[in-house]
Amino acid sequence: MSTITAFKCNACGHVMYPHHYRCLNCNGREFKKIKPTTKGRLLTFTIVDQLPWGIDERGRVLGVVEFDNGVKALGVIKTANPRIGMRLRAGWKPVRIIGGDKVYGLTFHKTK
Amino acid sequence: MRPVVVAGVGMIPFERRDEDSLVDMLAMASWNAIEDANLGDRSVDAVYVGNMASGLFNHQESVASALVDRLSLMPAAAERIENGPASGGSAVKNGFLGVASGYYDIVLVVGGEKMREVIGPKATDVVACMTHPEAEYIYGVTLPALAGMFARLYMDKYNITQEHLAMVAIKNQENGLLNPYAHIQMKITMEGILTHPQAHINSPIVADPLRLYDCCPVSDGAAAVLLTTEEIAQKLKKPLVKIAGVGQATDTHTLQERSDPTDLKAVRIASQQAFKMAGLKPKDIHVAELHDAFTILEIAESEHAGFFPMGKGAKALADGETRIGGKLPINPSGGLKARGHPVGATGVAQIVELVWQLRGEAGERQVKDASNGFSVNFGGFGNNVLAFVLRREA
Amino acid sequence: MDMDIEIYLRPPEMETPPYPPKVITLATGKPMVVRQVDRDAVPILLNAVKPTLDIERDYYDIVGARVYAELLGWYRYRVRDEFCLIGQIDGLLVGIVNTRSYSPTVDVSLHTLAIERGLRIGAHLFAAKMEYSIEYLGRDEVLITAESPIGFRRWMIEYGLEKRDGQHELGGATPYALTRALYFRNKDRLVAGERPVPPELMEVAEREIIVASEDDILEKILGAKRRVTQ
Repeated sequence: MSTITAFKCNACGHVMYPHHYRCLNCNGREFKKIKPTTKGRLLTFTIVDQLPWGIDERGRVLGVVEFDNGVKALGVIKTANPRIGMRLRAGWKPVRIIGGDKVYGLTFHKTK
Repeated sequence: MRPVVVAGVGMIPFERRDEDSLVDMLAMASWNAIEDANLGDRSVDAVYVGNMASGLFNHQESVASALVDRLSLMPAAAERIENGPASGGSAVKNGFLGVASGYYDIVLVVGGEKMREVIGPKATDVVACMTHPEAEYIYGVTLPALAGMFARLYMDKYNITQEHLAMVAIKNQENGLLNPYAHIQMKITMEGILTHPQAHINSPIVADPLRLYDCCPVSDGAAAVLLTTEEIAQKLKKPLVKIAGVGQATDTHTLQERSDPTDLKAVRIASQQAFKMAGLKPKDIHVAELHDAFTILEIAESEHAGFFPMGKGAKALADGETRIGGKLPINPSGGLKARGHPVGATGVAQIVELVWQLRGEAGERQVKDASNGFSVNFGGFGNNVLAFVLRREA
Repeated sequence: MDMDIEIYLRPPEMETPPYPPKVITLATGKPMVVRQVDRDAVPILLNAVKPTLDIERDYYDIVGARVYAELLGWYRYRVRDEFCLIGQIDGLLVGIVNTRSYSPTVDVSLHTLAIERGLRIGAHLFAAKMEYSIEYLGRDEVLITAESPIGFRRWMIEYGLEKRDGQHELGGATPYALTRALYFRNKDRLVAGERPVPPELMEVAEREIIVASEDDILEKILGAKRRVTQ
């Protein structure tokens, strides 16, 4: 499944997403590209009723998930009744249309 | 570095201003500041314009050059400074450096934004352009959404309630009624916006847990300050209100990469820098203008700037300490919530208000015997923050 | 008036139950009484509508012109099955909404004119007329259109209205429908009001429909022209 590309510092192991030229922890310059694990924990979320132009989904839930391997990322939360700390499973689906094209991004679902 | 005096201040009422172009508004505010300074025939050396998105909102670029022409200030140097909602603060900082360094003697700093040229959801999208394009923007993140995610964690951590947030809105809208320049001139009540069983219809969710009355309005407007040396200010016979401290700090672009998402590190560092430079402490401040784009931020910034211990800002608010007449009045102007938030104008408008307060010219919202003032201008979602300490010396 | 001729000129009327008045607590904490008015109120309402005819901002001019015609037409028995609700704060008229019943199953929403701004009065009154159509008149759906972007946001987007084919009677614009299902799905979030209205509030509202002066109406809609000497 497609997903985001995160970065693990070769020197200190700090995990970063999105990309930075230097490690946020030790200023190291070399990284290994890593993928997030399939599951993670919901850190925070919000229910957005006032959406920006170009998005029609009133009540879209956005949240930040910390994956089991330390990658943290924002995505669309697709489970009803989100709770901080709940375990979620990542998906990769169209999240927005920009310039007529579907743009794919992280979605988070109930773990089975 | 030379001391820098704010010798002139001026602004125009913030509201929906369909008839005025962006450059019109910048010019009106600038002229008010120039006249306030009694500048007469003296020439302005440089003009800094704080503005976030003249291109996206108004299809116009290089507005600083356009303004110099409109005000007939040629051959003054001119630049537009952009730092999201802290564009005004950054413009003030750059103007300050111009005079403090000795390079310029008289600098005009004006902040302005004409946001209502585009319809609401488009304005939301323009502001959202500040977010990370790959990690945030594509998901439809808005600034209220970031504030909502932050608010959820901050409220949980420090036991802040919806009532506390509503108190910020009620206090600031009451202050706005005393400010003829404020966008929102309306008293609201706890019952009307929160406690009535149907209050959620008056104040619907914007980005949960933040509701309509937790968010500042979308405004048009401009504010300006005239910065100069002590010597020139004395010749102009203006009170010596000085920019005694300036601080600025950045943090990670995305909310998720903050080491602690409830820690507004950039606010803390910028505030500490400003206090250190001014040789003052938070307890020396008599009046503060904080960046309450969302009600939660007034409480959070009051703690991170050092006015109250972490987690105690809500209690101070509930005890009335931050009202006009309280121990530390915060946002006597009405803040962003009531004065309004034309994004580029706000940082400069905060300085204008502080100068009025420190000069004793704040009319019905005057804080008694105020001689030290403080402001925070919050760029992005806390990833680029400016803080200022102002002090009146004569 | 020659009633023998009027019979031919007046459209037939449906029998309908009245709208029970309600009171809404606004963000200012003040109560707004929402009640149905009869034809005899029209001359007073027209005084409030007239100043809007010159206000281009937010399409007040076209809304005002059309509402004026609809109310006057209803007054003179030349519009079929129209109803009108108003909002009052301490007797002061703050908004007017009207709708026409096309059939026992379909109402056609006409206009929403808010005179006081910044308090969601238009939104509250629009919700009230939808409440009347769906819950009290028992219609299956209400056809709606918007002349201004504010209307489009408040109704089409906030309610998630369904686009329909055909033409709305307001200029042939694209009609959008509020179905019973959509109404009840959104009711808790958008329809406010408590009944019955406390007698003292009702007495003030019914005693007189106070219309603000033309200058005041212009100021309420356009914002005060503030002159600051600070």
